[in-house]
Amino acid sequence: MRTPIYLDHAATTPVRAEVLEAMLPFFGARFGNPSSAHRWGREARAALEEARERLAALIGARGDEICFTSGGTEGDNLAVLGTWRALRDRRRAVVSAPIEHKAVLAAMHEVAHEGGEERWAPTDRHGIVVQDRYEALVDDEVALCSVMWVNNEIGVIQDIGALAATAKSRGAMFHTDAVQALGKVAIDARAVPFDTLTISGHKIGAPKGIGAIFIRRGTPLESLVFGGAQERGRRPGTENIAMAVGFARAAELAVAEREQECTRVAALRDRLEAELVARIPDAIVHGRGAMRAPHILSLSVPGTDSESLLMALDLAGIAASSGSACQSGSVEPSHVLTALGVPADLGAAAIRMSLGALTTDDAITRVAELFPSLIDKARRLGGVRA
Amino acid sequence: MSGGVDSSVAAALLHAQGYDVVGATMKLFCYGDEVPDRPCCSLDSINDARRICESLGVPHYVLNLESAFGHDVVDNFVQEYAAGRTPIPCVRCNTFTKFRDLLRKADAVDAQFIATGHYARVIGGELHRGVDPSKDQTYFLWGIDRAVVSRMLLPVGAQTKAETRAVARSLGLAVAEKVESQDICFVPDGDHAKIIRQRLGDDTPALACGPIVLADGRVVGEHEGYARFTIGQRRGLPGGFAEPMFVVAIHPETRAVVIGPRDALLGRGVVAREVNWLVDAPAVGARVQVQVRHRAPAAGAEIIRVDGDEIELALAEPVAAITPGQSLVLYDGTRVLGGGFIERAAGTRPRLPVLAALAG
Repeated sequence: MRTPIYLDHAATTPVRAEVLEAMLPFFGARFGNPSSAHRWGREARAALEEARERLAALIGARGDEICFTSGGTEGDNLAVLGTWRALRDRRRAVVSAPIEHKAVLAAMHEVAHEGGEERWAPTDRHGIVVQDRYEALVDDEVALCSVMWVNNEIGVIQDIGALAATAKSRGAMFHTDAVQALGKVAIDARAVPFDTLTISGHKIGAPKGIGAIFIRRGTPLESLVFGGAQERGRRPGTENIAMAVGFARAAELAVAEREQECTRVAALRDRLEAELVARIPDAIVHGRGAMRAPHILSLSVPGTDSESLLMALDLAGIAASSGSACQSGSVEPSHVLTALGVPADLGAAAIRMSLGALTTDDAITRVAELFPSLIDKARRLGGVRA
Repeated sequence: MSGGVDSSVAAALLHAQGYDVVGATMKLFCYGDEVPDRPCCSLDSINDARRICESLGVPHYVLNLESAFGHDVVDNFVQEYAAGRTPIPCVRCNTFTKFRDLLRKADAVDAQFIATGHYARVIGGELHRGVDPSKDQTYFLWGIDRAVVSRMLLPVGAQTKAETRAVARSLGLAVAEKVESQDICFVPDGDHAKIIRQRLGDDTPALACGPIVLADGRVVGEHEGYARFTIGQRRGLPGGFAEPMFVVAIHPETRAVVIGPRDALLGRGVVAREVNWLVDAPAVGARVQVQVRHRAPAAGAEIIRVDGDEIELALAEPVAAITPGQSLVLYDGTRVLGGGFIERAAGTRPRLPVLAALAG
């Protein structure tokens, strides 16, 4: 087999060499606990706070507004549940959209389980939240609205400025899951009035297991974890210095390279999309009618099924994904495509290719050639749908 | 690959023989009710299968066949119980799920063969019993499409279970000492009534009280649902008879469970439906061996009627507990000729028990 092609950057990315290098001292001599009063502790504390400030600066925030977490799921949970629990006596409702990541969906359900009210703002067929339907849901009962910046399955970009402004005008808090947005769209806490924002390291070249949540000064938030005073008591537990440092380094690189890398990746994605649609004229590109992040291409071809296609792609050396994989690793129907009103048979045929650091021009050429031949074959066999 | 020892060894043997192996595990139902330490069909066993494949250096995929399996196998399972029969879901899983739906997934990746850990053999394009008589699984395999047989690879069928475990140990497979799966995979705790209730509702007649009767209709007790009984069962029956009593018939229309003494279980003939042939269909008058229960010895029989996909055989010797819903499999020596689902026993003679306690 020729060199395998990794087209699953939305799932995770390799740790960058610069990031690994930045982390290494903290796996060695600089092993201290930042809570300690001695020199090892001071050294660790300095590294941690420096990482925090560097990360904050990248998104227009102040250091004290950054709380390190284990990643996107924890951040989403803390933002939704932590804010709602802090406000539940006055405002019992939360508003979100059906295309959110499961980390937000499940936190919303937990709110309902704890006696709150979950409200769902529909999207149009491209995946964009319908502004007036959303506005109609945000009243003085609403504690928090949560809408993801960039959708992880189809890449569509929401108008976070408008959605956040609506929430603020009605006295509600606003959270955005920006896990897929970091390094892809400009994020500036001074320009957009979100109260909390969730980001994750492993999508941008840092390791898995590190993330952060931006918490604007004055935002009510209850911790989900109890213990010491680390991260201002919002996330107790000994801090992961090495990974915080690695995350800050990865974020710096991603933000610095954003425009250039987005231009490069968008050109590759657009070429791949154009060539695939030219060769498979009835292919449906999800989210095509909306603004999309440059790295995601989600498409369905009638008469195929994603499970068989993903197998065939993997055996041909191409790593892609469908909607969301379940715990067992089997392919599940995508709740995002269902929410867009995509018919079940097309939803079950969705393939997501996500580009990034490992994607080369040559790789795109190969995929553009190979994918249509696999589609032809799948259609000849007729997709078996479970 | 279930994550068990048989399919793991099958994959390892084929890999060692130079086949280009792709591992696949079928996800057949929701893992909502996790039962710890289940030997197969759990999240842990999927991980076991994946690890075996990783150690062999071959790809592994989890294939979601949940919806088709639910329809083809689980729905039928509860319908059969509701109809007073004792279903054999593994047959339908092999027929429809493994050797039809999964085979189409195999087609999608250009796989020429489909290999499993079944104890059976393919010789010259025909299906034969496995070498290990105590493990033979042809009783569950008669329903597959005849054309598929030549695409089947059954590497463990040529060895005993002990040999399979020895291979697993010699290859250092972590699953070598795994316990045998005994239950139906989607009824992990053996409580099939729970599945029937889930699918048919609390008020299904199959789980409602009904009479326990003798062959002449005399009521001798009450039961809590005829779906809890199978032909030949002794458990849950009233005592007080001078001889052991068995379930000899189930009548869903009256919810009656008929009991009788041992010789009332004996059938001299058997009728089967949905017959599938893996060889050219034998003619009326052909003498064959038949098996009416898993692990039962084969019995001599003669085909006396073939009517579309229904068949009737006369048995050379009476056979006990011929159970509607189970397999009837026809053999010529080790060669599987075909099979069907038992519709009814023929030539039974109802007999009343010696009513020792009742009379007294």
